Amino acid sequence: MGLAELLGTYGQNYLDGLLATWSMSAVSFVFVMVLAVLVTVARVSPVAPLRGLGELYVQVFRNIPGVALLILVAYALPQLRVVLPWRTCVIVTVVLLGSAFGSENFMSGINTIGVGQIEAARSIGLTFTQILRHIVIPQALRTTVLPMTNLLIAVMLSTALGSQVPMTPQELTGVVSYVNTRATGGILAFLISALGYALTAIAISFLGNRLDKRVRVLR
Amino acid sequence: MSLRSHGAPSVRDALYEAPGPRTRRLIAVGTTVSALLVCALLALVVRQFYVTGQLAPRYWSFFAEWPIWRFLLQGFVGTVEVALTAGAIALVLGLALMLGRTSGVRPLSAVCRVVTDFFRGVPSLLLIYFFFLVVPQYGIRMPAFWMLTLPVALAASGVLAEVFRAGVNAVPKGQVEAAYSIGLSRWKTMRLIVLPQAIRYVIPSLIAQLVVVVKDTTVAYVVSYPDLMQNARVLITNYDALLSMYLVVSVIYILINFAINKASVYVARRTGVKIIR
Amino acid sequence: MAQESTADKNVPVIELRHVDKHYGDLHVLRDVSLSVARGEVLVVIGPSGSGKSTMCRTINRLETIDSGEILIEGEPLPQEGRELARMRSELGMVFQQFNLFAHKTILENVTLGPREVLGQSKEEAEKYAMELLERVGVASQAHKVPAQLSGGQQQRAAIARSLAMRPKAMMFDEPTSALDPEMINEVLDVMVELARGGMTMVVVTHEMNFARRVADRVVFMADGQIVEEGTPDEFFDHPKTQRARDFLDSIKGH
Repeated sequence: MGLAELLGTYGQNYLDGLLATWSMSAVSFVFVMVLAVLVTVARVSPVAPLRGLGELYVQVFRNIPGVALLILVAYALPQLRVVLPWRTCVIVTVVLLGSAFGSENFMSGINTIGVGQIEAARSIGLTFTQILRHIVIPQALRTTVLPMTNLLIAVMLSTALGSQVPMTPQELTGVVSYVNTRATGGILAFLISALGYALTAIAISFLGNRLDKRVRVLR
Repeated sequence: MSLRSHGAPSVRDALYEAPGPRTRRLIAVGTTVSALLVCALLALVVRQFYVTGQLAPRYWSFFAEWPIWRFLLQGFVGTVEVALTAGAIALVLGLALMLGRTSGVRPLSAVCRVVTDFFRGVPSLLLIYFFFLVVPQYGIRMPAFWMLTLPVALAASGVLAEVFRAGVNAVPKGQVEAAYSIGLSRWKTMRLIVLPQAIRYVIPSLIAQLVVVVKDTTVAYVVSYPDLMQNARVLITNYDALLSMYLVVSVIYILINFAINKASVYVARRTGVKIIR
Repeated sequence: MAQESTADKNVPVIELRHVDKHYGDLHVLRDVSLSVARGEVLVVIGPSGSGKSTMCRTINRLETIDSGEILIEGEPLPQEGRELARMRSELGMVFQQFNLFAHKTILENVTLGPREVLGQSKEEAEKYAMELLERVGVASQAHKVPAQLSGGQQQRAAIARSLAMRPKAMMFDEPTSALDPEMINEVLDVMVELARGGMTMVVVTHEMNFARRVADRVVFMADGQIVEEGTPDEFFDHPKTQRARDFLDSIKGH
């Protein structure tokens, strides 16, 4: 199958697949960030049960294989009468995985600030919330641009889990399996999707690097 | 380096200062309330298991039978075989990609860079479909083991190439300059001076990357390779116990990966290096 | 904010009464009592691990104490909340590691406190900040971030940051210990200026010349205790205790 024929027959599938991958990545990443902040707040809180819960959350979701979690969400939860649409299952899985790593990024971002700056802020009379607002959060955000860029790429790659459930429209990986079980698409069928991912990753990486250069905190 | 850096308090603990009496009361209240909430959440989950009948003995009793565990163990051996083989291939390939990229030979360096970025920018699942669906179209017959191991290895090699590069960059510049100044060639400097140190720096990161490899192997069912996950699926069709089996298997994976991560942190502490991700 | 008129001249600005502190089994402060009068420059010296830094840090509750009392202008040091933050804003603190806010320019470092804590306008805060930066000699660096400055410049900027709060007293916790030798004097000069200007100061330091030249009183600490105190001349020329004599000998040896 040549490129023209492949695109003529399945072009729309690839386009839909690319858009599905992009949109799922974007939606997931927003929730990843929100959840990562909440988990991090729990992990640094002085309240022991919250700390414990936050730690458990991170250990579970950074160590569980994506496929295992997806199967639990998509096929095991319905047995507990929790039934989610396929697409939502994938997003929930990706968000749970991603937020654990996002929280790890935030934690190391917080740790690079150093105790000294917090003591200095305290010494000039800033209150706890002022210290968070002016010292901790801005620096934590600025030092985590690169790790979060990598996380966004990881989130995009893990949306490939969508190929493991009958989701419509399919995302890029699902399209490859769809095309190749119907026709002999050959290496081209694979490369189109692969380039979709790789080029997106390069673009994200490029933007992340530029943002990082602008906001990086010199130490 | 200040003296205090040894055993310095983490920022996490410094964020909240030593509480006064009012704050202590607040924390106590918060602790109680959150403990109750956690218990309530747990109770809710258990209740949902109960009302849906998932606590019934028929879903759990077979875990007391040795043949079940033996079959899972066989799957686990399969997982280990794939993970270690893929890990070893990725190690060699990653090192080669890094050496190519830092070789100073323009075309080679460009090719290695593209290959590295490609494998890092593509989901391992897609690579598996490549070996499972595309490769056979060219008349190449591969055993399931390799249809799983090769894509997992390729995906990891891209990441490892970057880990190695970070390790090489972490070797002080003075080392390279000193090596050149005693007349060592570029390649000998890399082989005798830079690499040995770089590898020492990245050992904890390499161990941590094993977690990614183990996770990637779990899609073995796509190619019907009998790993832990695939064997669990077989048991599920036999016992019709989807929830309990997947839960147990997930916990096993979590524990394995947790142990690998702990080992990585332990080695990093022992050798005083940072884990590069 | 100026309350000097209402404050009784005879009440010490800082007073510690029978302060004790443990780190686990380690007794870091043993029954430390001390008072600092208005305008007094108190220099605390002693071997490392003697508790002098810890003592300094208890004054604005960067370290808590197990028992005893700390009074600021006769008022007990608040234990938490806004009251504590307000009290801290009236006490300047300069750290060994400078601790400038890494993501803010020097000017922003100096104006953050006045704007957020004292509620000054941007213009007002910046005007005074520039005056202070001028005074400590880093005005030309105002728009750089800390990492672009030398250690000495950073420490002088950190002093300006504290001064911007118009503090009642300043604490210096080994302010020159992290500096390269050629930068120590530029920081000490600023401190001498401050002392001449009548600032109440507690200075933990190893700079004996500074102590001799500027201190109104020297306190010698060892093993968490105040072993000896007196005027610089008394202490350096006629130390009363064997411990102080040993200490002075040990640093002369260098």
